[in-house]
Amino acid sequence: MTDSGQLALINAEIDGELDAVKRAELARALLSDPQARALRDDLRRLCQTLDALEPVEPPAGLRQSILAALPQQTRKFRGFVFGSGAATAAWRQAAMLAGVLISGALLFELVRSPAPEPTEVVGTIALAPAATLIDTVQLNGPVSGRLSLYRDRAMLALQFEVSASTPVEVQVASEGHVLQIGGLGLGGPGGDNAAGSRPAVPLPGVPMHGQSVDVTFLSGGHPIGGASLRAPRGP
Amino acid sequence: MKEDDDRVLVRQCRQGDRAACEQLVVRYQKPVFNAALRMLRNVEDARDVAQTTFLKAFEHLADYDATRKFYSWLYRIAVNESLNALGSRKPFEAISGDEPDETPGPERLVESEQLRGAIEEALMQIKPELRTVIVLRHVLHLSYQDMGDILTLPEKTVKSRLYEARQLLRDSLLQCGAT
Repeated sequence: MTDSGQLALINAEIDGELDAVKRAELARALLSDPQARALRDDLRRLCQTLDALEPVEPPAGLRQSILAALPQQTRKFRGFVFGSGAATAAWRQAAMLAGVLISGALLFELVRSPAPEPTEVVGTIALAPAATLIDTVQLNGPVSGRLSLYRDRAMLALQFEVSASTPVEVQVASEGHVLQIGGLGLGGPGGDNAAGSRPAVPLPGVPMHGQSVDVTFLSGGHPIGGASLRAPRGP
Repeated sequence: MKEDDDRVLVRQCRQGDRAACEQLVVRYQKPVFNAALRMLRNVEDARDVAQTTFLKAFEHLADYDATRKFYSWLYRIAVNESLNALGSRKPFEAISGDEPDETPGPERLVESEQLRGAIEEALMQIKPELRTVIVLRHVLHLSYQDMGDILTLPEKTVKSRLYEARQLLRDSLLQCGAT
């Protein structure tokens, strides 16, 4: 039976961390112990194979999807606001000066109004066939119908199958992200989405941590209905 | 030096230089994706973890301590995200010494491709914290010091975990006749 001391020596040898004295000690142990020799050979082969595992190329769209998701999160990046990335030196100098002023103004605004401003989201998508239903809720009241949360590729999306007696706006809040959804045409004449195209709205930047996704329907700026759905935890 | 380059890119990124952020993504998307892939053995899940890792990193860039290595910080996020993703899967079934012997007779799996497949399979059977040290050492090729940094563990503990993980992998491969 190989003891823990021998195991440590064998592993240290594989990692190239043995000095001459320890190397000699291991050599003696290996000479007298066939089990230790077999273990050393197996572990060495294992480590060689592990080290030789070919790295896999990331999916082609990974970089783009990361970069595409960044601007929508700008408000959450403390001290991190995107610029053009190709500024000239003169522009940079001016930007530094402006940055100080803007930072002061932003700081003032943050202190004055800590609540995040909503990000405007306009436009609907057709859900991919492989989109997964995560959560759904039935609504009753001034806004009625069904509201469903889908995972579509690497993003969450809300599907509205609702009708409303008056024109409504939709606000989605989740973990500090506030999205103002426009262009749905919910409520009012011809604003019934209970049937037909069933629009789904992507929720860029909203994470998947098992957190709640709170949807509020507003009419004239006042909430007239809402629902809370649960985002998936991880994939 | 790569670490100095990283610091420059991080500083530019903090200042809002989108091109610098893109450089960091280009530089690290492959190791982050591969680490997640070895942890999860699922391309789609690994893609999601990689994306979340970068978005969290950029989101919390103000918290990054520039005196430390950027990649250690980034890989720590990747490891945690991978473990979170694993946590949402079905309960882990550990390898135990009481497993039935399923050695396939005298014929042994000697093809390197089969060995790789067997290793990947065996990796998924060991505890996630042991798999993590294998991934950090053999996929990301990190030093014990970096591994300790990422896992917030003393080097001695990192080594003992790694030795245990290797031994379990070896035992698992012996059981399926793959060594």
